[in-house]
Amino acid sequence: MTSAPATSPSATSPSDERVGSSRLLDRLVVRPEIGALLGALLVFAFFSVVTEQFLSTGGVATWLDDASTLGIMAVAVALLMIGGEFDLSAGVMTASTALVTAILATRLGWNVWLALFASLVFALAVGALNGWLVMRTGLPSFIVTLGTFLALQGLNLGITRLVTGSVQVSGMRSTDGYSSAGLLFASTFTIGGTSFYVSILWWILFTAIAGAVLVRTRFGNWIFAVGGSALSSRAVGVPVVRTKILLFMTTAGAAWLVGSINILRFTSVQANQGIGLEFQFIIAAVIGGCLLTGGFGSAVGAAIGALIFGMARQGIVYANWNSDWFQLFLGVMLLAAVLVNNALRRRAERVRR
Amino acid sequence: MTRSGTPLLAVRGVVKRFPGVTALGGVDFDVRAGEVHCLLGQNGAGKSTLIKVLAGAQRPDEGELRWQGEVVSFDNPMDAMRTGVAAIYQELDLVAGLSVADNVFLGHEPATAGFTRRTEARRRTRALLERLGHPDIPADRDAGRLSAANQQIVSMARALSRDGRLLIMDEPSAVLDQDEVRTLFRVIRELTAQGVAVVYISHRMEEIREIGDRVTVLKDGRTVATGLPARDVRTADLIKLMTGRDLEYVFPDRKPLDPTASVVLTVRGLAAPGRFSGVDLTVRAGEVVGLAGLVGSGRSEILEAVYGARKPSAGTVEVDGKRLRRGSVSAAVRAGVGLCPEERKSQGLLLDQAVYRNITVSTLPAFARFGFLDSGAERARSRELTTALDVRPPGVDRAVRTLSGGNQQKVVLARWLLRECRVLLLDEPTRGVDVGARSEIYELIRDLAQRGVAVVVVSSDVEEVLGLSDRVLVVREGRVVHEGPAQEIDESRVLDLVMEGTAA
Repeated sequence: MTSAPATSPSATSPSDERVGSSRLLDRLVVRPEIGALLGALLVFAFFSVVTEQFLSTGGVATWLDDASTLGIMAVAVALLMIGGEFDLSAGVMTASTALVTAILATRLGWNVWLALFASLVFALAVGALNGWLVMRTGLPSFIVTLGTFLALQGLNLGITRLVTGSVQVSGMRSTDGYSSAGLLFASTFTIGGTSFYVSILWWILFTAIAGAVLVRTRFGNWIFAVGGSALSSRAVGVPVVRTKILLFMTTAGAAWLVGSINILRFTSVQANQGIGLEFQFIIAAVIGGCLLTGGFGSAVGAAIGALIFGMARQGIVYANWNSDWFQLFLGVMLLAAVLVNNALRRRAERVRR
Repeated sequence: MTRSGTPLLAVRGVVKRFPGVTALGGVDFDVRAGEVHCLLGQNGAGKSTLIKVLAGAQRPDEGELRWQGEVVSFDNPMDAMRTGVAAIYQELDLVAGLSVADNVFLGHEPATAGFTRRTEARRRTRALLERLGHPDIPADRDAGRLSAANQQIVSMARALSRDGRLLIMDEPSAVLDQDEVRTLFRVIRELTAQGVAVVYISHRMEEIREIGDRVTVLKDGRTVATGLPARDVRTADLIKLMTGRDLEYVFPDRKPLDPTASVVLTVRGLAAPGRFSGVDLTVRAGEVVGLAGLVGSGRSEILEAVYGARKPSAGTVEVDGKRLRRGSVSAAVRAGVGLCPEERKSQGLLLDQAVYRNITVSTLPAFARFGFLDSGAERARSRELTTALDVRPPGVDRAVRTLSGGNQQKVVLARWLLRECRVLLLDEPTRGVDVGARSEIYELIRDLAQRGVAVVVVSSDVEEVLGLSDRVLVVREGRVVHEGPAQEIDESRVLDLVMEGTAA
């Protein structure tokens, strides 16, 4: 603070304004969710024009519901990806948690709430194990969670067959606490004569919390930092290990939420459910602007990515097309979103020079 | 120099050993509050290790650090930072994707119940940037999108945000242009006026004279002089202190050059904007030509341009009288040019592949039969070479990663031996090679020359350039400032050219 202030205020204020206005566009363009938002608008407009049911309240309720459980997972997976890690066990975990709840409640006669709590503890433990293994061994999380994915898949089938003699658990309807738990996780609410599933509210709530954590809290800052450069982060005192383990636990916790929603709504669960979903979560997160390399992305973007999924899947049904086309659509959508995101980021990088 | 009392940081008898090497063999010096203390020493004198010890990235094996008179020990960079020591490295360590303010306060964000107080972080960042004379850097810009110079300023702001009292700057001017260096010096002066101490590492005498207060000279991991007045000490004296170590390795004898040997490599007027210009170079078969210069002087870039990995803006490269297509590696390789890059590990070797595959990788077509590789032949040929070069441990199936630096370098050399190249470009051939293996590497390079290869060697180690080469070119700021037979110039003269650019 010696001689600098004498010249700087007059020199900086006009330049600040200039920087400000050019940065507005600059910032808009580098928002990670911009590609997903454009895609969502496009898909929405397309199916609104092509089909009649798509815009009806019943139609909206259907595709929002389809997007909701996927969206919860996509947002959690996005946080993890921004933190620089993957979780391939996330899909099968939605079935594992549902199975734990169902077996405890239907076979051992536990109260549903108690079963749900036990299932949550199980999920968080597996998440912590994933994180601990990754951090402890330094192996890529892709490999470590591939291991837990396969292990959980085997456990799901093996234990279900041992306990029930079949590959499904059912009978939730007659368990203690089913109705009160169902109210929280699987009920519907009515707007304008159409019922919407409560899972949509969970999705919105989860996205809002994740978004706020990501951009408003220290922890959110650390998520970006450990994904961007774990070494630099450690050097300035960011608790890298704790941050990443918590992210794995968040993903597992989200899988528990989705598993609970499923088991309480359908009252039965197949032991082989959830397999293959893990890639849908990652795809939704990537459409939403997450980089596979970490350090960049958005929770809201991942939620929009899931919305695109839901709209397209249901839109194709309403259009009376064969659902085979969904995969093609998905592939094109993913490529388009990634290309758009990439092009915009390049452009933004040129702007600075 | 009337500042009295205990120094801010006192370094006493610091020793750091690595397997096979003693990097620091007893370093002593004091840093006072408010001074710029320059560290001077040749490559391998132990400067980088010392920085790491001071900044908590490495623990010393012996000796102690005293902070304001009290013994401290840093287990990690966080400890050092909490005490008030922060290093600003050449390879900048900001997190790209986070804003400037987020980077400055990363790990100690101002927060209420976990929620960051962004406005406060931004305001304090702006204040710090203003204190550093850079109110122009926007606090919410992505740090990865700043220029190197501005990133350096943000690193400094980060150190100050943690109440950094001692900043260690490792050749900060290497990534800056002249104007940026001037700004940096103004910042350093303002900081020292506020009582912050700076440990400044540089090779450039004019910088040391301009910004420095006192100088400490390191040689072979030891302090050989400390507390010299930066403005008055004679360059010749500093150079004498930096050189003149005991010879730890021998250079092979030079055979008198055959004056009729044909010119293999001819470079004329080679230039790349902002890197180097007007470079002429001819190398005869059997000749070793050395390029001496500081890191960043353009010497490595010249090699890259000859190899085609960097496209020159002007000039020609000819091998055996045939002109090479500009900026084409494959044209250079076809003409028989080989490069051993400075970053051997990242650019030159397939670390997880077997030794034999690393040797044959540039010659694979010779081992292919109907498109299939004859790995038996690859192994056999590699075995001959590794035996001849005495690669240890023997065995061509082990992964290159498991070899020591010297043996890895031998593998690279074996590759070019196998290829029977005409021109061999070596960038820092003994970096990371321990003293014992150096002589062997030198021997091999001489051998290659004897077989008629034209060799160009780049090294920061002046002694190495002089001992190994027949002819020496000194590069300073992208220009060749001296050319002549290696026997007719000595180490201090080269250092003088490199550091001052003026006649001694």
